[in-house]
Amino acid sequence: MADLWSLIILNPMLNGLIALSNVLFSSFGLAIIALTIIVRVILLPLTMRQLNSTKAMQSMQPKIQELQKKYAKNKEKLQQEMMKLYKEAGINPLGCIWPMLVQFPVWIALYQSIMRALATTPENLLDLSYHLYSWQVVSQAFPLSSQFLWLNLGGHGDFILAIIVGATMWVQQKMTTAPSLDPRQQSTSSMMLLMMPLMFAMFTMMFPSGLALFWAVSNVIGIGVQYFITGSWGYLRSSPAAQPAPAGGSKLAQRKSQASPKIK
Amino acid sequence: MPGGTQPAQGWSGTVAEDGVLYVGSMDGRVTAVNSSTRNLEWSYTIASPSGGASCGQTSIPAAIYSTPAVDGDLVYIGTYNGEVLALSTSARSQELPFPQIGSGEWLYPRTKFEAIGGIVGSLTIDENAIYVASSNGRVYSLDKEFGDLNWESDVLSEKLWTSPVVEGNVVYVSTFDGHIYTLSTETGKKLPWTFESDVGFVSSPVLYTNTIFVGSFDCYLYAVKVGGDKPLWKFPGGRWFWAAPVIRDGIVYAGCLDGKVYAIEADSGDELWEFDTGSPIVSSPVLMDDLLVVASESGDVYVFDTSAKPEDKQLIPVKAISIDALIRGSLCAHEGMVYIRTQDNCLYALDIEKGGISWELPLTIKQES
Repeated sequence: MADLWSLIILNPMLNGLIALSNVLFSSFGLAIIALTIIVRVILLPLTMRQLNSTKAMQSMQPKIQELQKKYAKNKEKLQQEMMKLYKEAGINPLGCIWPMLVQFPVWIALYQSIMRALATTPENLLDLSYHLYSWQVVSQAFPLSSQFLWLNLGGHGDFILAIIVGATMWVQQKMTTAPSLDPRQQSTSSMMLLMMPLMFAMFTMMFPSGLALFWAVSNVIGIGVQYFITGSWGYLRSSPAAQPAPAGGSKLAQRKSQASPKIK
Repeated sequence: MPGGTQPAQGWSGTVAEDGVLYVGSMDGRVTAVNSSTRNLEWSYTIASPSGGASCGQTSIPAAIYSTPAVDGDLVYIGTYNGEVLALSTSARSQELPFPQIGSGEWLYPRTKFEAIGGIVGSLTIDENAIYVASSNGRVYSLDKEFGDLNWESDVLSEKLWTSPVVEGNVVYVSTFDGHIYTLSTETGKKLPWTFESDVGFVSSPVLYTNTIFVGSFDCYLYAVKVGGDKPLWKFPGGRWFWAAPVIRDGIVYAGCLDGKVYAIEADSGDELWEFDTGSPIVSSPVLMDDLLVVASESGDVYVFDTSAKPEDKQLIPVKAISIDALIRGSLCAHEGMVYIRTQDNCLYALDIEKGGISWELPLTIKQES
């Protein structure tokens, strides 16, 4: 299984990353940025599908909350009514999950490629040799320079990079996290909104900064993609008290929202 | 570990001196074993401080890649946490606190402000000094007797994971970014001749009759005449020539990560014979008279009679010995035996004449509870 993973996904991505660094002025930092962009562009249709699905789900929130109030004491009925609502609106509640699942292996491969290419220990360099193609563009890329801007891509990330990773992740999450009228739910989502960026900021200080560079670039692209799809900064500017409606939602979401029936 | 990467564990080789084997273990110890009795003469643990979120400071065993070097009563070793130690065999036998300055022991760097990068290559010793290449890209010369810094070179590369070679008054260093530098043993300053290649050099250099032999990232073994600006020849392998070759009587024996061992004419670069072990060759081969001993990473050790005539450029090994462990450390040939420290932290003694394992000794010491 591990061999198959290496053969089909990891090795092509790893060699692509190393070849890119050769083409991009022997800069491994630029190669990480370029490959992250390439992968995100390839996965764009899936990302758009996931975002649209999420937006459509969020547009249903007022109606779902109405249902939750109405059937607070009858969970079974609530489930039935919610499914009916989704069905009438033409939304699959799991629709935002499967594009995410499909993307996972690619992100893992990209992550592994960066870690392997950085070869921070002699064992890793030796192991790297077993994954390389005998392409000239690959062999000529060595040694990969771990210096990029102020960063040592093979060393632990610093405070500035940690702030960049944390901040971009917070912005990306904030854009899509709908405020809730339920104080408990709001408290949970507010905590999550802080926890994830804080965790990744901490990871930045613990892992090679090449990986943190990938996170930062990926976050920035994610923000750009969301802005492009929704046409706005989403929930970034809305206060928790505001109604959980999409700020300038996508055409698909708006269309689905209009198409959804009123709850009697 | 993230991304399936591996932590630094080390692959120290073994050295034999006066019937005692010295080896760096996987748990950060330098161990002396009597080669006849297999008795543990002494063992010293090198630990490196480890910060972390826990209360107080803990220490973890240092990874050791370099093979110990012995000179008189002292055993020299370099570690991946950037330390060079001179251990006195008499002081270590008595388990005295390190360093026993009266016994000639020392530690470099003296303070954390003088810290150098991790040491992966082996130390090179001449009459007066020890030369060590560091992961910070510099070469250091230390006084052999007191461990004082003689000089440190300019930064030659982003990192140096190879062993320097010293001949006469010149230190030869190959770098990952494709240079072979020559430095003065007196001052550490660069000498006029530097060889520059389009591709980086992955193996440590070997100097033979004024020619440097070194493996590169483009899967070639290069032969470079000292003073020349172009390679004398380059020989293609299927993968990197990771291990430094051994050379005798005008023939270069080079193990390659493609699993093959190649015999190449040193003058012309013509292939004489090859043999496919089926597994990458990470350790440098060793020569015992006419016998060439090659170990593959998967644990198979092959013995070749170099005086035998190859057939159709193929030489069949006269003996094969199988060890059930990974082999990455350098081999040590001594009095008809070959000693190998494997990646399962065992020391193996192979009887080359009989073609089998003579004994094996686990190097891991169980902590008493």
